[in-house]
Amino acid sequence: MMEHEFKYAVIGGGIAGVTCVEQLSALCPDDKILLITASSVVKAITNISKVTSILEDFCVVEKPSVYISENCPNVTVKQTRVTNLQAQKHKIITDEDEYEYGKLCVCMGGTPNIISKNCSYVLGIRDTESVQEFQKRIANAQRIMIIGNGGIATELVYEVEDCEVIWAIKDKSISKSFIDAGAAEFLLPQLSQDKQSSTGSAPTKRRKYTIDGNKFRDIGHGTGTALGPDWSEGLLLKGLDKISHNVKIEYNVEVEAVMEKDEYRITLTDAEQDALSVWPVYVKLTNGTVYGCDFVVSATGVTPNTETLLKNNKFEVAEDGGLKVNDKMQTNILDVYAAGDICSAFWNPSPTWFQMRLWSQARQMGSYAAKSMVSHTRNQDILMDFCFEMFAHVTRFFNYKVVLLGRYNAQGLSTNYELLLRVTKGKEYVKVVLKGGQMQGAILIGETDLEETFENLILNKMDLSRYGEDLLDPNIDIEDYFD
Amino acid sequence: MVIRTYNEEQQYLEKISSCAWKIKKGFVPNMKVEGVFYANDALEKLMFDELKNSCHSQGFGGFLPGMKQIANVAALPGIIGKSVGLPDVHAGYGFAIGNMAAFDMGDPKAIVSPGGVGFDINCGVRLLRTNLSEKDVSPVKEQLAQSLFDHIPVGVGSKGVIPMTAKDLEEALEMGMDWSLREGYAWAEDKEHCEEYGRMLQADPAKVSMRAKKRGLPQLGTLGAGNHYVEIQVVDEIYNKFAANKMGIEHKGQVCVMIHSGSRGLGHQVATDALVAMEKAMKRDKIEVNDRQLACAHIRSQEGQDYLKGMAGAANYAWVNRTSMTFLTRQAFAKMFHSTPDDLDMHVIYDVSHNIAKVEEHFVEGKQRTLLLHRKGSTRAFPPHHPLIPVDYQLTGQPVLIGGTMGTCSYILTGTERGMQETFGSTCHGAGRALSRAKSRRNLDYTDVLGALSEMGILMLILIKF
Repeated sequence: MMEHEFKYAVIGGGIAGVTCVEQLSALCPDDKILLITASSVVKAITNISKVTSILEDFCVVEKPSVYISENCPNVTVKQTRVTNLQAQKHKIITDEDEYEYGKLCVCMGGTPNIISKNCSYVLGIRDTESVQEFQKRIANAQRIMIIGNGGIATELVYEVEDCEVIWAIKDKSISKSFIDAGAAEFLLPQLSQDKQSSTGSAPTKRRKYTIDGNKFRDIGHGTGTALGPDWSEGLLLKGLDKISHNVKIEYNVEVEAVMEKDEYRITLTDAEQDALSVWPVYVKLTNGTVYGCDFVVSATGVTPNTETLLKNNKFEVAEDGGLKVNDKMQTNILDVYAAGDICSAFWNPSPTWFQMRLWSQARQMGSYAAKSMVSHTRNQDILMDFCFEMFAHVTRFFNYKVVLLGRYNAQGLSTNYELLLRVTKGKEYVKVVLKGGQMQGAILIGETDLEETFENLILNKMDLSRYGEDLLDPNIDIEDYFD
Repeated sequence: MVIRTYNEEQQYLEKISSCAWKIKKGFVPNMKVEGVFYANDALEKLMFDELKNSCHSQGFGGFLPGMKQIANVAALPGIIGKSVGLPDVHAGYGFAIGNMAAFDMGDPKAIVSPGGVGFDINCGVRLLRTNLSEKDVSPVKEQLAQSLFDHIPVGVGSKGVIPMTAKDLEEALEMGMDWSLREGYAWAEDKEHCEEYGRMLQADPAKVSMRAKKRGLPQLGTLGAGNHYVEIQVVDEIYNKFAANKMGIEHKGQVCVMIHSGSRGLGHQVATDALVAMEKAMKRDKIEVNDRQLACAHIRSQEGQDYLKGMAGAANYAWVNRTSMTFLTRQAFAKMFHSTPDDLDMHVIYDVSHNIAKVEEHFVEGKQRTLLLHRKGSTRAFPPHHPLIPVDYQLTGQPVLIGGTMGTCSYILTGTERGMQETFGSTCHGAGRALSRAKSRRNLDYTDVLGALSEMGILMLILIKF
């Protein structure tokens, strides 16, 4: 095959794309594989620590693109932007060249939703480049506003030091997409604690990486790769003032308007103008309050990056904007697969699994898509990877370990379920969702040591009704009991 | 089930020695033999407290006290000898953990029960020695720990040391450590120092369900969470120099590595599948038990045989796991100390299983019989001269590895003739295990949390009241 023909191609150098490429390379060491990435860094998952069979704690390394070629000799990496896809001809067209593929996996991720696209004081924070930008700006900030209630907003609120933070969320409780109101209540006190210094020197069960200080070649906005689990590690996220945490939360609000200094001043009376404390930007919330701050962070989710692909190809798109994929990670277009944030899982999932745009799922999908592509080439049967049997995610919020299993917020269970709860202030929060006596999901905050046991109970589908509330009795060694 | 007062219950219990209690027939219905449990003063108190608490709450289903579980097992068809509670016995699913029960293979009514093996089939302990000392390892403790973390566990699909495919899994289920040996992950002598030589011959991968295999594949070669561990240990005290020397332990301060792991998700699924199948068959075969969790089948029935073959497969899988971790540990150490595992003398001292069912020959009242032994949370402890233990341990007896928990020591014991007589060569499995663990009583406080949750409009909320 010539330099422009590849058996397999992957577009996107984020977690999904890189995992896919590495898996392909391992399965087909003799085939030519192409990775196209707009960013000069790629995410390489090099060390995975299995917490339980499905839960993984892993680290992400940002390395120059050449890293992939070094470790996978049959992979060619091109740092360029895809301008068009002619799927019928199996052709990828980029800024610089054209490539033909046998099978393609698109892992182009999503673009951050920014509440106010034109204001230079509003920063989206979703990818590596925006984090760098954020780091620069926070050094000179006394007060910032964070809009958004997801994982990144939650982590950011905790990580920022020496700067006042106004956190505006549209829900009644923080981190709504991850945890319930009860767990939110449990975590809140951490925001008034001094932030503990990171335990950098103790041996870690996973390798820790920090963002490489290399300069990025700027190809254009919105082409950076998404953040991995340790994105804030090692970054100096300190502002000007000498206070550890100063967070004010505004609940049930959305942003009504973002105004730069002069724009806002005009709306005020003379007296008000005189009394006004001067900030570069002002945000008016739907509850009427106006906050001035140095800049605004918009961590309000992403929109799948499908624009380029949809130009010339009739992909089926889901309501959330992602490309629909079946249980083999295939789109409706022949030989095109999709994985990660760009896709929307459109198969009939196991009762305890659902899609969430997280790096853990990006990795699982990237890996499975690769296996799927290879099995189709070889005309072999393939079974879905077991990770799609049960939702599982582990992360850290406010310095607590947070484990989410199955339908941890009783998602999709409507009524007719039960909750078991065990809380020790400042130590742990354990919530179990039961339906028909079977465990459907759980939230574990703190070092509970229960994740493997609960994963087994969910997967075993055991009838737990005879235990009732005793299931969470701290005097019973439940991990041992079901051993 | 009859509800009695604590005093009434005590009528059935009799102390027969300074560290043993008898559970008389009648403690629970249908006991075919008596029960016995071994406990010193401290453990005895815990056992009786557990019983007392259960009497006060009027014996609702849920978690039965260990004593009752031992007695319920004594009511199973075909049981021979006694239902034995080893010193660390505590509540478990069906059988208590630390409960040994033997069934007469010659009795057509004798049963096999997955609850008597446990979910984590062939959870066990392996001990490696090294020729390093504490003073070699202390200065580089953290780097060594990191090195171990880096090598173990290994995920499927990553560029790990031990790649595993579905085909490898099939072979591992069938061949156990022979697979590892063939692939180059084990030393030939490792097998010698492993129960069953690391492979149960009756294993049949066809009796392990697809779901179990799917659960097992991502976990092959991985450690697991909870009470599983790879621990770098230092010899603290040597009580029997002769036995220690036979194991290659020469001096205090010698560094060893203990691996505690099992079959995890795969074992869980094999057990779950069997429990479901057996529950269905019990009506057909007219088997009655005191506790639904004691689902069982006649040993010679289809369900019984299927389970034993599947269990053997899961056991093989667990041995492959421990072997893979042995391999990775050897690599980690070799890298750390710029040497080879051979030069570091990293041999397997022994590998014991403490969640397994085995067919063994024992003498019962002077007659030799073939028995099916269920050891759940219980370790085999064969005496000197037993044909099934390795040549180099013939004079000392089988090494028995008792893993500690965080903060407690581990122990190496050897099997004795007395153990053979009293408990069919079985002993406990965990050091420092007691009913109420060192986990301090938690101060539960959920008034704020409750308020927040009720706003969510949840229909039913069950709380723990403590």
